[in-house]
This record gives sequence, structure tokens and C-alpha cells, in this order.
Amino acid sequence: MKRALCSISIALVGLAMLLPAAGTGAQDQDKEILKIQLPKPMFVGTPKNIRTANLEPITGKPRGPFLVPAGTVLLSAGKPVTASDKEPVIGELSFVTDGKKSGEDGYYVELGPGLQWAQVDIGKSSPLAAIVVWHYHSQARVYRDVVVQVSDDKDFIAGVTTLYNNDHDNTSGLGIGKDKEYIETYEGKLVDAKGIKARYVRLYSAGNTSNDMNHYVEVEVYGLPAK
Amino acid sequence: MTKKAYRGLFVCAVLGALLVRTVRLDLRPMHHDEANQALKFGDLLERGEYRYDPNDHHGPSLYYLTLPVARVLAGRSLAATNETMLRLVPALFGTGLLLLLLLFAGGLSAEARVSAAFLAAVSPVLTYYSRFYIQEILLVFFLAGLIAAGWKYLQTRSGWWAAAAGFAAGMMYATKETSVILFGALGAAAVIDRLLRPKTGSARPLSRTAVLLHLVIFLAAAFVPAWLLFTSFLKNPNGLADSVRAFGTYIHRAGEPGIHTQPWWYYIRTLVYVRFGHGPVWSEAFVVALAIAGSIFAFGSEPGKDGHPRLIRFLFFFTILSGAAYALIPYKTPWNVLPFYFGLVVLAGNGAGMLWRTSRFLVVKVLILAVMLPGLLNLVRQESRANFTDYANPTNPYVYAQTSPDFLKLVGAVEGIAAAHPEHERMLIKVVAPPDETWPLPWYLRRFTRVGYWTDIAQAGDLRDAPVVIVAAAFSEEAGRTLDGDYQSAFYGLRPEVVLSLYARQDLWDEYVRGRVAETPARPAR
Repeated sequence: MKRALCSISIALVGLAMLLPAAGTGAQDQDKEILKIQLPKPMFVGTPKNIRTANLEPITGKPRGPFLVPAGTVLLSAGKPVTASDKEPVIGELSFVTDGKKSGEDGYYVELGPGLQWAQVDIGKSSPLAAIVVWHYHSQARVYRDVVVQVSDDKDFIAGVTTLYNNDHDNTSGLGIGKDKEYIETYEGKLVDAKGIKARYVRLYSAGNTSNDMNHYVEVEVYGLPAK
Repeated sequence: MTKKAYRGLFVCAVLGALLVRTVRLDLRPMHHDEANQALKFGDLLERGEYRYDPNDHHGPSLYYLTLPVARVLAGRSLAATNETMLRLVPALFGTGLLLLLLLFAGGLSAEARVSAAFLAAVSPVLTYYSRFYIQEILLVFFLAGLIAAGWKYLQTRSGWWAAAAGFAAGMMYATKETSVILFGALGAAAVIDRLLRPKTGSARPLSRTAVLLHLVIFLAAAFVPAWLLFTSFLKNPNGLADSVRAFGTYIHRAGEPGIHTQPWWYYIRTLVYVRFGHGPVWSEAFVVALAIAGSIFAFGSEPGKDGHPRLIRFLFFFTILSGAAYALIPYKTPWNVLPFYFGLVVLAGNGAGMLWRTSRFLVVKVLILAVMLPGLLNLVRQESRANFTDYANPTNPYVYAQTSPDFLKLVGAVEGIAAAHPEHERMLIKVVAPPDETWPLPWYLRRFTRVGYWTDIAQAGDLRDAPVVIVAAAFSEEAGRTLDGDYQSAFYGLRPEVVLSLYARQDLWDEYVRGRVAETPARPAR
């Protein structure tokens, strides 16, 4: 009560001080800046120190079903992988298509810092249905400037189709993307390939929210076998 | 060792310590705890307000000791301060720690003091937390001051040294209430020392009256700074009593440490051998090994040029007892290694000094140096890595719940968007996140005058009121339902496993990106 009375008194004094200025603007004379007391941050002790964890989806909801043409198969299993970083910091490029998707150490390949790409050659140009990528899913992190492209040109100079691009400020130089960033989970990120025919799948990233490195646990390319 | 060599080497150690403690203090993003302390200090700086909080933040000495530094460098505005200014305080105390080693003359040989100074100068753990705006290094400084003044008192029986020891003890308490653990270890070590050899080390016997007088001086010198600081210079009369009541909080926290539970050997492992994943090996085993060698001297030798075994013995028992006490408390954080690490580093200095003095022959000395130099250089290498490259890397054992460098990109984006907003730093920012996912945002957003913090999205009102909304990942989907279409979203890492989501009004975001692109030099064709 005391505080309320005090606040009212202060408000009245404030209004009285503003009175001499009245009349300068007919529109503004009955108005004042609304002062909103915003809540302060709450203090709390040292937070938990986390080195590794198994990450569930942030929303807690699994991904819904994704429909593909009948006869769609996994085309990328055991297929050759190349990358912009010829000598990965950790792991082997073959990890990308070895079918092992564990989030633990020993299952991912680490490419160098900054913008890097990994490329899967599925052998023959095929109609693609979906590409699923697991960058690193033992920790909540977001990979930056994720771009997924497909082409029949192994150098990605001609006939390049961009299926996914969340580089919203074009730092990768591949064009501004409108797709959303996402937090890595064990489900991986599914990219709709829309039936586009291609032999090569190239995935870009430029570091992540935990460090500047680029990781791939697995990439799966689904589609109809080439006829 | 000649006096000239001693002085020259000691000055080198101090200058080296100052260098590694003060260079690029802005490099590491503010830790959650540092930001907490900084905001608490901000109240004192801007409004002269400090009220002891028995539930958190520890004692008041850090804030009051920061005050003169901040006033000189930044005036009375927290917004004008920066990471370097605040961290300068622990950095200077961390360097001052070396100077206190000078007071151990008579107890430690000149070689031991110089060696301890060099080890302290480059110790990864000491340097890392000397660049950290929390209380720990101040606690270690005052602990060293208490032991050093106590040693001088034993030698001189001077009331002035009793007062100095008391002042240091009072400042220890005013720095961290949990210093009572160290008082217990110091007391127990003194008792053991007394039992082992009761009549050595004193300069001259004192009458019972003189001893009592000195005890009163000690207690008064301890009481006054603690009383003044805890009571905010008498503005909060209950402050000192609250500090005693805080024991309940800390005993409860120690017994039920929750997320900070670690096994008893955590500190030993942290010091001796750590390797996380594919990261490098971290080890201060060199210091531990030298400390063991130095401790051997605590038993059986006589006072002489090698120092006084009584001081070494006391430090040995203090280190063992305080280390055991901290090991038995389930609540463990890596910075709690520091108080007993100080004992270790002095004992290690003694070990190095002892080895150096084993022979008068130059060839032997060169051989000893050849053996010890790689150990010292390894510490230098690790110190450099800990402070200047892996300062936020979770494979660094001293990195604990550290803010990710990626977080600074979020801060940069908010500042860039504010530059594009007509109200600039008066732009409304809404933050919705649990408290442990909020910090250090309040520090980095301290220049913004309209920032609101909520822990629940429902309480934050209409999010579209604000051109910038920052939410915890758990709220991201919900925020997106309201903001998608008109807002650009982007994720930023706060800490390992913790991600924040930024929503910025699209027009402001676009202008921010345009400005950034204009500033960025053209990328060479690939």
C-alpha cells in the first residue's frame, strides 16, 4: 500500500513538472511515455558443466512420416565420399556412408574449420527422394550455413540444384537461403530431394554453435535405383 | 645463489606472471558466474548499493576491491566497464601472490622461493583463474598472506605481523565464507606441527600476556575488515550475522551438490592427468612430483640454508588436510583446487630448490636444470593453450560450464540490429529463458536500457512488441509460432548443449546483414 501511494505521489510530482511544457503540442499534451518496469534477470549458481550427452529432440516430438515413391531404396550405403578437407582432423571420410549413426566418439568424421563440404557419389544418376544428414547428435548444437546441393557434375559447376540452404546472410557465397536453422538430434535432418535426378550429393556447413569444426556421422541418400 | 641472481630471477618471474595474467583479458567470453558477479558489482558501482546475499555470490571483497579499478578506468557506469577492467582485479592479485613468496625468507631458501615464483607464474590453473572474475584467486592471495604473515610473526613475535595475519584472515572470510574450511586446515596443521616439534621456529619466547595481546590484535584485525565489508560499511548491520547464517546454505549445497557432484579423486585427476576425447593431455604432474620431493624435506632436516623444516612441514600438513577436506566434499568445481594448489606450488618450489642445492658442482646443476626445464616449458605450453587458444574448449580441464565463443556472435547480431533500429540502445529486447540459460546475457546487454527477462513465454506478453526476442531452445518452437514470417531466426550456442534462439524483426535483420556484407571484404573466387 505504502509503495503504491509512493508511486502515485511520484507520478503526480512528475506530471506537475511536465505542466509548464503543456500547450506546446495539442496532440501530445494528454500523453506521456509509458514507463514499463521490465523484469530483471534471476541470479542462479554455477550451471551444469556438460561435456557429452545424448540429445533428444528439443520439442520432444518425433519427426512425422515422410512419403516417398514406392521402390525407394538407400542408394548411398558404402558409396565413396570426398570432401574439401582431404585430411580429416578426426575419423575417416568413409564413416559418412558406413551406416553407423551412433553419436559417440569414433563414429564421426571431423573436417577443418570454416566452410567445408562433403560429397557422396551414389554411382549413377538416379531420381532422389530424400537426403538425411546427421552432423553430430550427442550434443545440442546447430551447424551453420548448411547447404545441400545435388548435381551430375562432380565438380558442381554445371547443373547444380540446391535442395536446402539456411545460410541466411550468404556467408558461404552460395546464395542467400531461406531454410531454417535446426538443432541436431538423433533423428538427423531430412531434406526433401523432390525426385531430382543426380549422381552427386554435396553438403556444406561452416562450423557450429559449439566450435568452428564440421562433422558428419552419416549421410543417407534415398531414391529410386537408376534404370 | 647470489643475491643479484635471486633478485633478477624473481623480477623475471613476477613480470612474466603479470604478462600472462593481463594480456588479452577480453579473449574469453564472460562465464555465467563472472557475469553474475559483474552485475552485482554494477549495483555497487552505479548506486553505491551492496547487500550481502547469504544464498549466493560469496563475500563482498571482490566488489569493493574492484571499485577503485573501475572508478579510475570507467567512472560510475557499468556500461563503461569491460571484461578487461573487471578481470584486472584477480589478475593483479594473482600476480601479487608471487610477491608474498618473498615473505617466506627464512622458511624457504632463495632457490625455493624463485622456483615457487616461476611455477606459480606459469601454472595453467593459477593463470587461468587469475583471469577469471570470481573470488577464488583473491581467496588464495589472502590465504598466502595469512600463512606468510603468520610465518613472519613466528620469526619476529611482532604485533604488526599478528595484525597483518589477522587482516589477511578477515579478508579471506570477507572473500568466501567457505574459507572456514581453510581455517580448519590451517588450525589442524598448526596443532600437528606443535605436537611434532613444539619448541622450534620462534624467535624468542613471549610472556602469556604478550601472547594474549597479540591474539587480541589478530582477532581484531580479522574482525574489522570482515565486519565492515559484510555490513556494507555499516549500512547493512545484519550482514556479518548473515554470513554466519550462510553456512547452512553452503553446508546443504556441499552435502547435496546435485549437478556439481564429483568423485573424491576429481582434484587429483584434474591436476595429474586429464584427457577428454581427442583433446590434448593436460597435466601438472610436474608440480605434484616436485611437491612430493619438497615435502620429504619437511621431515628430518634442520634449519639452515635450505630453509626451515617447520614452515615446510606446516605447508605439507595444510596442503594434505585442505586437499582432503575439499576431496571429501561432494560439491566440486575446478577452481576449488586453488587453495590447496597454493600449498602444492610452494612445496614444489621447495623441491626444485632442494634439487638445485644438492650439489655445488656446475655440471650437476646443469644436469638438474636439463631435467627440470622441460617440465617448466610443458607448463608454459599448457598455460598458453589454456589461456589463449583453448580458453573455452571443453577439453581444457579448467573450462567449466564456460560460455561458448559462438555466444559473442549473438551479442554482435543484437548490437548490429540495434544499430539499425531508430531507438538504438533503447530498443526493446525480450529474453525468455530459465535463469541458467540467461547468463551472461545481462552483462553483454548492460548497455541496453529496455531489456526484460522472463522464465516463461506466457508471462512475456506479446513477443511481437519487441524487435528482438531471445529465447531458450525449449521455447523456440513456441516463439516461432508467434514470430515466424516477420522475424528472422538464428541459433547461437550459449554453452555446450545449450542453444539460444534469436528472433529479429526481418527489416532490421536485413539491414543488419546488408551492413555486415558491406563491411566484409570480398571473398576470393573459389
